[in-house]
Amino acid sequence: MSDAQQVDLSTRVAGIDLANPVLLASGTCGYGEELEPFLRLAEVGGIITKTITPEPRSGNRPPRIVETPSGMLNAIGLQNPGLEGFVEHKWPFLSTLETKVIVNIAAPTVEQHGEMTARIDALGGVAGIEVNISCPNIREGGVLFGCNPRASADVISTVRRHTKLPVIAKLTPNVTDITEIARSVVDAGADAVSLINTLVGMAVDVEARRPILGNVTGGLSGPAIKPVALAMLWKVRQAVDVPLLGLGGISSTQDALEFLITGASAIQVGTVTFVKPGAAADIVAGLGDYCRKAGIARLDDLVGSLKS
Amino acid sequence: MEETTKDLEGVVFSHEEVADGFRFLQIRIDGHLPCARPGQFVQIRPSRTTTTPFLRMPLSVSHVDRVGSTFGVLYDVVGPKTRALSDMNEGDRIECLGPLGNPFPDVPDDARPVLVGGGIGVPPLLHLGTHLRSAGMDPILIVGARTAGKHLPLELLSPASEHVRLATDDGSLGHHGFVTDLLAQAFKEEDKPVVYTCGPHPMMAAVASATESADVRCYSSLEEYMACGFGVCVGCVVERRTQANSPYDQFTRVCVDGPVYDATEIVW
Repeated sequence: MSDAQQVDLSTRVAGIDLANPVLLASGTCGYGEELEPFLRLAEVGGIITKTITPEPRSGNRPPRIVETPSGMLNAIGLQNPGLEGFVEHKWPFLSTLETKVIVNIAAPTVEQHGEMTARIDALGGVAGIEVNISCPNIREGGVLFGCNPRASADVISTVRRHTKLPVIAKLTPNVTDITEIARSVVDAGADAVSLINTLVGMAVDVEARRPILGNVTGGLSGPAIKPVALAMLWKVRQAVDVPLLGLGGISSTQDALEFLITGASAIQVGTVTFVKPGAAADIVAGLGDYCRKAGIARLDDLVGSLKS
Repeated sequence: MEETTKDLEGVVFSHEEVADGFRFLQIRIDGHLPCARPGQFVQIRPSRTTTTPFLRMPLSVSHVDRVGSTFGVLYDVVGPKTRALSDMNEGDRIECLGPLGNPFPDVPDDARPVLVGGGIGVPPLLHLGTHLRSAGMDPILIVGARTAGKHLPLELLSPASEHVRLATDDGSLGHHGFVTDLLAQAFKEEDKPVVYTCGPHPMMAAVASATESADVRCYSSLEEYMACGFGVCVGCVVERRTQANSPYDQFTRVCVDGPVYDATEIVW
């Protein structure tokens, strides 16, 4: 294949047509606007909003972040403007984007997931709903659902009943067997699964003999967690038959290829955006370059091509 | 010269130790000056960085040379990120994201700017003082440090003010005591002072308290641990003092809502 030849990076994941399989991960791209100076959002396959909850949330007391080897801990605590604040202040900008917008939601109760879903569905123009049943930094909802197969299924089936939009369950790695949760959310009607959210971690200030984070524990993200994410992706790939959105430490084209080959239909770029705000667009370009050099006409053909 | 916010690579133009542990790093990026206005900051890290340290280092800009197309930052070598910076040599490539954050507001008519800095919080005040002087104003610069060796040399301080007043905690240079002592003195001398401050949290809290008691307007440039520096991580928050309309507004992001705040806005 000559260098000039076009490579097809497009894909269709859970019924969502993506120009390329590179998405901006929830919680690392705000609601899009802040990234505009550094990244043409139209260049990425999609953007997944920071989690919104039924009511506005203040988030946790600082310190909320700390760097750790090859990554960082965060305990933001889902600071967000709430569903109506999102609709009024964030959606008008998002609705103008050429790229696909997936709205990420979390709620304290199963029922509220349904109510939020109906409201978001009614906006028109949302590409899909990602359900955050995996946030480790809040006291109600989040990972409390995501650690329990039954509770996870209850949330997903409730969301499912309230929309025809694609429903994506975002899973936590902080469980004994992630395939059990994956199976339960797929049985409950999830069209796709995102994995992994952050790993619970902690950092200590020796001089003060105190935890560094105000929340004591936080979620570990960044390159440090990539091998864990790949292993979980590989396990879940064998357990369920829906498309998987892989994330966890993806920082380069090489990383993205590892996830695609292992079986992710699309990948999400997260923490690296904090360091290189244009990283996701660089990865899109890098995937094109890789395909041209390797003589691959359709990137999608690479998905799940891992040899045993 | 472009001054819009960008993520670009520059080169180390000069790099030297200027006080005990403090280093002065000047960076050149052709065609781009990533910090036009005093109070703004940049996020930098050596281009050769792999994954540790991973995050960038947010640093206020202390110097801008429009002719030479360079800008300068000052930092204290205290942790892995500043140690990685301190290893850089002239000509090394460095990632620069900026300008970020909001600048110091303008000085009100007839007011006398009083700049109060402590430790490694002095750099944005150097930029501000130089800027005010070029605009015809005559700022006072009060600087505190633990000890004489931790004070920046006068040749770095004096372009920002003709009235540099030093304090040390141990009395080894200038006034033996805190910057707030010198600030109280300035309040006696000046009819209409306005305070601009940056430094360690306890110092800024004391300055905020002193200015509020004296009914003097005070702008504080906050330094908080940051991941992104442009608003998406929501990590660098501080609590607002004013009653928020929504819980969403209880905490404010220092990187995009600040780093400069009216001191009365913040819970110290």
